[in-house]
Amino acid sequence: MIQVQNLVKVFRKPVRGKGLFGMIATLFSRKYTETRAVDGVSFDIPEGEIVGYIGSNGAGKSTTIKMMCGILTPTSGKVLIDGLEPYLKRRVVAKDIGVVFGQKSQLWWDIPLVESFKVLKEIYQVSDADYGERMAFLSSVLGIDEFLTQPVRTLSLGQRMRADLAASMLHNPKILFLDEPTIGMDVLVKDKIRTAIHALNAKYHTTVVLTTHDMEDIENLCSRIIMIEKGTIIYDGPLGDIKRRFGNIKTLTLTVPPSVDPNSVPPFSNDVTMTVEDDKVLLSFDADKVILEQVVQYAFSQYHAIDMKIADISIEDVVKTILSQQEEEHAMAKKV
Amino acid sequence: MRYVKLYFTCIKRSMLSRLEYKKDAIISILSFLISNACALCSIYFILQAIPTLKGYTPAEVGFFYGFSMLPIALDHLFSDEFWLVAYRRVQLGDMDRHFLRPVPVIFQMFAETFQPDGFGEIIVGVTMIVVCGLNLQVSVTFGAVFVLIIGAIFGAVIITSFKVAFSSLAFIFKRSGPLLQIVYNFTVYAKYPLAIYPQVVRFILIFILPFGLFISLPVDTLLYGTYNPYLLSLIIVGVAIAFFTLATLVWTLCARRYESTGS
Repeated sequence: MIQVQNLVKVFRKPVRGKGLFGMIATLFSRKYTETRAVDGVSFDIPEGEIVGYIGSNGAGKSTTIKMMCGILTPTSGKVLIDGLEPYLKRRVVAKDIGVVFGQKSQLWWDIPLVESFKVLKEIYQVSDADYGERMAFLSSVLGIDEFLTQPVRTLSLGQRMRADLAASMLHNPKILFLDEPTIGMDVLVKDKIRTAIHALNAKYHTTVVLTTHDMEDIENLCSRIIMIEKGTIIYDGPLGDIKRRFGNIKTLTLTVPPSVDPNSVPPFSNDVTMTVEDDKVLLSFDADKVILEQVVQYAFSQYHAIDMKIADISIEDVVKTILSQQEEEHAMAKKV
Repeated sequence: MRYVKLYFTCIKRSMLSRLEYKKDAIISILSFLISNACALCSIYFILQAIPTLKGYTPAEVGFFYGFSMLPIALDHLFSDEFWLVAYRRVQLGDMDRHFLRPVPVIFQMFAETFQPDGFGEIIVGVTMIVVCGLNLQVSVTFGAVFVLIIGAIFGAVIITSFKVAFSSLAFIFKRSGPLLQIVYNFTVYAKYPLAIYPQVVRFILIFILPFGLFISLPVDTLLYGTYNPYLLSLIIVGVAIAFFTLATLVWTLCARRYESTGS
């Protein structure tokens, strides 16, 4: 369905001086810096798969997505959507893809939502029967009928995202690209959006590629993840593998009163690592090996914690760990 | 056929957007009436103050001025979105959604805004033509009327072509509004008879920015029978087609360079 072959995108930016004089000097200089936003990325995505395309900010996620949906032309390499290159056959490919950019709405700002849908229906040449059937389905999974007659500008962020998702599905695309679909949403809306994506995938067998910063999105939705950092892929495989590699790692952040010296507290066990940051103590451990409740009790009784926060491992942590593991492997390989 | 239907769907949407804010719509209708009234008054005052303009009577100058409003108004009706492309939309990375739809981006730009303000300009222009025409007691011939209509319609196509080409430069430079503004401002010169200008300006207004070609020359033909109306019509249509083809080509080439913004 989607084939990406050795994809590269280089952005050329003039070298800018600092301040006003620097800026003026830039006008006459021919120096450029090159940023390789995407640097030799390859992968294949079969039909019906939900893939999480993840990485830290500026890793090259959005750039790849934009090339896959035909907005950007690659510097070299190829994207094939159903055998066609989207930036060359833009209009043909556009019929087969739906795109939601979390930060940019594709709906018309001032008019009632349903009017936007009517225009999109015409643009994508959706028949009346298909339109009716799809609207009924989308209303049931996304609950958009609650605000169908409101102008888009009056919708809340969560409502707008649901509306955008519905808009991108009106023409029943084979592939759905979702760029941070749950950004800034509350838990209930996130849940609704995830359920909807599952339902779409089950009903229409839609291939979904989504970028996110939310670990829960990935755990809930994706069977496979592709991880990108500095423009290159550092991991591509099933979610299970990552989970096995990182386990169910949790971090407890404790606020400790000044009277307690955390270094003098005996450690809980070898499975719990402690780091101290200012007046905070961080305890990280694998929740499958250590019982969370016991660590929490230990934190109160031994560290006299005033406050505490429990957090799952973040994507940034996973990326960091994978990178450092790879560096170790390289170092090992060199020694051998 | 499909595109005609789609165009009307989009235009309906554009009108809905305007009517969504009722007070704003009333204000814009009012401001539009006032600005057109002011335009008429100022022309009237200027024409009162000068007895003749290089041999042209006030009524003749009024006729030129009134006719020049027609192609400008037609262009205004259909292609207002290109100003936003040139000034803002590319710079803000606001074009992404258009690049994702299975319809040419340039078509979407024409369909994005329909600017009814243009109708007012047409009314004002036609009024001026009729009043000045009666005043001059012009002998109306079929050929002359034909070339005026061709001049208005295909003149609008030529103005639009410049808008398309220069706004598409925004895809490369991120913002091309000021440049487009400079080119567009040359239509001001075309509001007066070409004969009042020095040779250089006349040359520019016929061969480079051909705004004189479809405004001044057809009016000359009506008032003084200077040119063969059918030959002139043919030239105007030919130039319009050539410019529009070139403009869409420039647009297509530039649009490939669209880079959007980070998100």
